[in-house]
Amino acid sequence: MEQGPMTEATYYILLSLLKPGHGYGMMQRIRELSAGRLEMGPGTLYGVLSRMQKEGLIVFAGEEGRRKNYAITEKGRAALLAEYERLKRLVADGKLLEEGEK
Amino acid sequence: MKYRYRFHPGDYELGENEKFYGDMEARGWRLVKRGGRLSKFTPAEPSRARYRIEVFAPGFLEQSVLPEEQVAVFADCGWEYVTDRGLLHIFRAPAGSDAPEFYSDPAQQAETLKALRKNTLWGWSPTLLWLVVYLGLDVLMKGSERTLGDLQRRFVQIPPLYFAVGFTILWQLYRHTRDAWIITRTYRRLKNGVPLDHNPRKRHVLHKVVNRTLEGLVVLCLLLTAAQLTATRSTDPEDRTDEPYLLLSDLGWQGKQGVSILGDESSVTHTPSLLADYWDVREFLKTPAGRTVWMYQDVYRLRDAGMARLLAEASMKTATFGDGGKKFRPIAATGLDAAWTNNHLEVVAVKGPYVAYISYIGLGHDSVDPLPVCTALAERWDAFP
Repeated sequence: MEQGPMTEATYYILLSLLKPGHGYGMMQRIRELSAGRLEMGPGTLYGVLSRMQKEGLIVFAGEEGRRKNYAITEKGRAALLAEYERLKRLVADGKLLEEGEK
Repeated sequence: MKYRYRFHPGDYELGENEKFYGDMEARGWRLVKRGGRLSKFTPAEPSRARYRIEVFAPGFLEQSVLPEEQVAVFADCGWEYVTDRGLLHIFRAPAGSDAPEFYSDPAQQAETLKALRKNTLWGWSPTLLWLVVYLGLDVLMKGSERTLGDLQRRFVQIPPLYFAVGFTILWQLYRHTRDAWIITRTYRRLKNGVPLDHNPRKRHVLHKVVNRTLEGLVVLCLLLTAAQLTATRSTDPEDRTDEPYLLLSDLGWQGKQGVSILGDESSVTHTPSLLADYWDVREFLKTPAGRTVWMYQDVYRLRDAGMARLLAEASMKTATFGDGGKKFRPIAATGLDAAWTNNHLEVVAVKGPYVAYISYIGLGHDSVDPLPVCTALAERWDAFP
């Protein structure tokens, strides 16, 4: 599937949803995954979730009290893998920089 | 319980509103509710609480209610939902809370402002559309001359209402223009990655002065309108003492007060406006022969005689059988500055600060001679300085 670069927020939300979860849980998971580097605000999270649902990358997966759970879709998983491959290629290409510094 | 009300910044000044509510709580007043122009506060222990505003644009014909899930996540992060107004939803984090900012990505917040931006750019259009449709229908039904004449005549009758409408249009135009500029600027900054300033220092003194002045003028004009309406009095035309209108008896008619074919009784309504004293007179007389004679009058004593000719022209434009003023022709009337008539049914006369429009029909006639009416008016007006 041909696609453009994914935003950091979308990438981490998809990563966090490899295990279904609700909004607040996602924010905590993203903080853990990025070792505290990425603090996603609740407003940002909801804006991105709404867009991702429309694009079919994630899907509503039931409720826990007032909280809604989301899960990644097959399309979302494929997009995440494609982005991961793209990032790996970028890093591999960038190894030249480390070699040049040696 | 003791409450305090304060004017809040406009809906489009997000950072200013957040700072305003934070400052109020630091002074011991916690936000309870946000209204159209005022916010309601309750006493609280002074503290450095943070307030943040989330803009939520609902779908077509939907209410602006934040999804429960969103409120729950905000609450989990330490943000307590306080109140809402329109598209604005206000949250509070107590002093010392480490609740994260709503948006880690300013461009994402810019997206939420799109609906507000649309509001500012198109918000004025219903009012403008209403004005255009109202005037358009009026012109279509009555013709442009008559519509203009009506506006001029009513301006003399009740000027503060016209000023109130004028200042309201000016005020709304100013506010919408400024709102559109502010929200567009905020949107562009966020889109370019500049976070919202939650603690703006600018006090916008000039804006506050202009806004409050225009608002004050609207309120003042409405109060003057109310005062004028309160001072308006209706009486029996025959109770006339020194008022400058005519009675049918001045034209030689004798008989008892009667009613019109529509059942209206004789009356005179006096309105003291800022520009003139105005008498709206309708008199119906039943003659001994059992026929009804009637006369309608609009009589003005202007405070500025220079407006008399303009008002006379407006009266001709709005006359029932005047065809927008085209059917009137001047007549030579002794004792008046000028007089006009159309097919003898209606007369308009001017002398100094006095202007009269008279529609009068006598016994068994389709029309009447306007000259006795003019002579009687000149004599009546001569009695006053």
